[in-house]
Amino acid sequence: MNSDGPLADVKILDFAWVMAGPAGTRMLADYGAQIVRVESPHRIDTARTLQPHQDSNFGADSSGLFNNCNAGKLGVAIDLGNPCAREVVLDLVRWADVVTESFSPRAMRKWGLDYDSLRRVRPDIIMLSTCLFGQTGPLRQIAGFGNMAAAIAGFSNLAGWPDRAATGVFGAYTDYIAPRYTAIAILAALEHRRRTGEGQYIDQAQVESAIHFLTPAILEYSVNRHEPQRAGNTDRDMAPHGIYPAAGDDQWVAIVCRTDSQWRSLCDAMGAAAMALDPRFATMETRVANRAQLDDVIGTWTATRGATEIEQTLQARGVPAYQVQNSAQAWRDPQFAHRGHFVEIEHQALGRTTVEGPRAHLSRTPGRVRRAAPSLGRDNQYVMEKILGYSQERISELTIAGVFG
Amino acid sequence: MPILESRRVLDLSNERGLLCGQILADLGADVIAVEPPGGSSARRIGPFAADVRDPERSLLWWSYSRNKRSITLNLERPEGRDLLRRLAAAADFLIESFEPGFMAGRRLAYDDLAAANPSLVYVSISGFGQTGPKAHYADADLILLAAGGPLILGGDDDRPPVRLSVPQAYLHASADAAVAALVAHHERVRSGRGQHADIAAVQSVAIATQSAILAAPLRTTELRRLAGGLKLGPLNLPVIWPAKDGFISMTFLFGSALGVFTRKLMHYLCEQGYCDEATRDKDWIGYAEMLLSGREPLSEFERVKGIVCNFTRAHTKAELLNLALERGFLMAPVATIGEVTRSEQLASRRYWRSIEDPAGGAEYIVPGPFVKFSATPIEYWRRPPKVGEHNREIYCGELGLSDAEFSNLVRGGVI
Repeated sequence: MNSDGPLADVKILDFAWVMAGPAGTRMLADYGAQIVRVESPHRIDTARTLQPHQDSNFGADSSGLFNNCNAGKLGVAIDLGNPCAREVVLDLVRWADVVTESFSPRAMRKWGLDYDSLRRVRPDIIMLSTCLFGQTGPLRQIAGFGNMAAAIAGFSNLAGWPDRAATGVFGAYTDYIAPRYTAIAILAALEHRRRTGEGQYIDQAQVESAIHFLTPAILEYSVNRHEPQRAGNTDRDMAPHGIYPAAGDDQWVAIVCRTDSQWRSLCDAMGAAAMALDPRFATMETRVANRAQLDDVIGTWTATRGATEIEQTLQARGVPAYQVQNSAQAWRDPQFAHRGHFVEIEHQALGRTTVEGPRAHLSRTPGRVRRAAPSLGRDNQYVMEKILGYSQERISELTIAGVFG
Repeated sequence: MPILESRRVLDLSNERGLLCGQILADLGADVIAVEPPGGSSARRIGPFAADVRDPERSLLWWSYSRNKRSITLNLERPEGRDLLRRLAAAADFLIESFEPGFMAGRRLAYDDLAAANPSLVYVSISGFGQTGPKAHYADADLILLAAGGPLILGGDDDRPPVRLSVPQAYLHASADAAVAALVAHHERVRSGRGQHADIAAVQSVAIATQSAILAAPLRTTELRRLAGGLKLGPLNLPVIWPAKDGFISMTFLFGSALGVFTRKLMHYLCEQGYCDEATRDKDWIGYAEMLLSGREPLSEFERVKGIVCNFTRAHTKAELLNLALERGFLMAPVATIGEVTRSEQLASRRYWRSIEDPAGGAEYIVPGPFVKFSATPIEYWRRPPKVGEHNREIYCGELGLSDAEFSNLVRGGVI
């Protein structure tokens, strides 16, 4: 595969599975990195079984999550437990600049694919292991997903209402943070190798990466000895700051005033200019103190209006507001369209499918979705023949030996 | 040798972008926070150390400014803009997070600065991106979470959707910005040319929908929020479960991958006397489809969840974590921040680091390196700077201003 793009010279052998690892390398695929994603022919990637499923079909190709995390990659199915697989994998290691994996810490050693083994065949290899808790420590073998890491890292307890048990964050929250740090670590290690010729091993504990998104709360505790509490949608220094009902089933609008002048504009939009003078609401300080009454006033105004209409009316006056979008609304949102967020591509089994586009826009070397995520083993032949240069005879032998399942 | 050693970053970002510069600083870059006189607007955001409102005590600033130096510079003054142009001519990266159009209005946009320094990587972080029909929308964390899709998925079903109580949107954007900066840098090493990276927080937060934002184009059911879990059509799927002394997060799901764990858990519950064998032996792989097709009544699923709940409620968070470790169950305690800081796991990995308090107090504890590099470990060598702490060092020592020029700029309110 002749690649282009700013990362065209980067080759990654990707054993990572489910979400956190694959989402990290997906970011690099958008910019042209060549990525060979290895799947087990026997043990399905959990992501293939997760929502959302195209046309509500539960088949192994129809997970939007899998297809989103693996777009742009080549896919091979290799049984790592098969004794004949090892030579194939080591040839791929010789080809690769970077090897990534997200098994629990024992697995790569069991297959003889730990960092020391890889370094023997490719001395300057960069290897990144990513798992919930890292390669060491009493919890290193915990199997699991990002919802568990989000709980243990402190996120889940901080989402919800102060008068109720925690609602928790949606889904596998640390799996949304760790991928950025995976990509950053890989790019940094490549830069180090370029300058020094030296490869290295990177131990990523997803919990440790993710806690960086809670640092202010950590400091509130470590500096002020104050245990941070969940606070609904309120902000300590801003009011209004909330989610208000709009007309229709489960329709909501977010409204925030960061300044007194935004508050006056909001009053103006509500046709309640006199309220701007109401001493209960006149300054940020009094609005914060009278938050509940304030929310009642605003909620009464919003409840009979459409969320889109409220958003447009308020934004026209410079007041931060947005409808709380579900997928259908985001899909129709003109700003998402302008940013190319939803990308339609051809998929071998699905016909056309949709994935998210690159999030960052680079002016001279933009990212793009180069191909759909692989069906299981889609690129076996291509990778063996074109990347590894195997003869047809060799490929047939490996097939008969069960290397590809 | 630090990875980005001798790479100069001008970090003009405010509360929207501090993390991006800190990531580059952790990788060894020379990151200079360029603040307006009086200090960054981020320094006015709480909480504050000892709850004293003071620009040197903002814990947000402390959180995302280590390993940086600070200068002040007034971009509203022509002399200030000239100084920035001089600094940018020798910089490798520039990060800004003003409203779109702010830099262009001062002739400091990418094109303006790239003319003198074609290899500059210029990173813009904003709510909605630099262009487009909503580029000039007013933003806030809650607004971006609403727009980008994650908000509608979280919360109790009888109340409005609810956010995480620590602002997240611009952290997602800043982390994406750091990736973009490094991609552009990687390419620059070959081509010698920089470029403009435009990051929109509204897209960055969409990752927190876990691809649920694709439900409509994929023609499938939208997920709905549920206290401590989520709803898929008629199914209420809890994630947060009660323990004896708090709550745990547990994956209790079905299908060919996750159903295996549920089967394992149900076998244990049967062994422990929580359920009968018929319950244990349900088809946990195909269970979601059975429920959705009506072959298994929802009331039966409710009964099963009740059994699981009886089990979790009978154990402490620590006991359940031990079971997860010993038996491979998918559960973990819901921890408070205090509990996070006392985690044995993090302690055993020597995760926490201490940093000198810029307000002159004691050292304080911060999260450690985001990954462990074997050859180039991340070091925290510099506490967050005070406002303009490095003015003289940088303007005189590095940019070569004379003492007289420097004093004039200070008197003129430029620095």
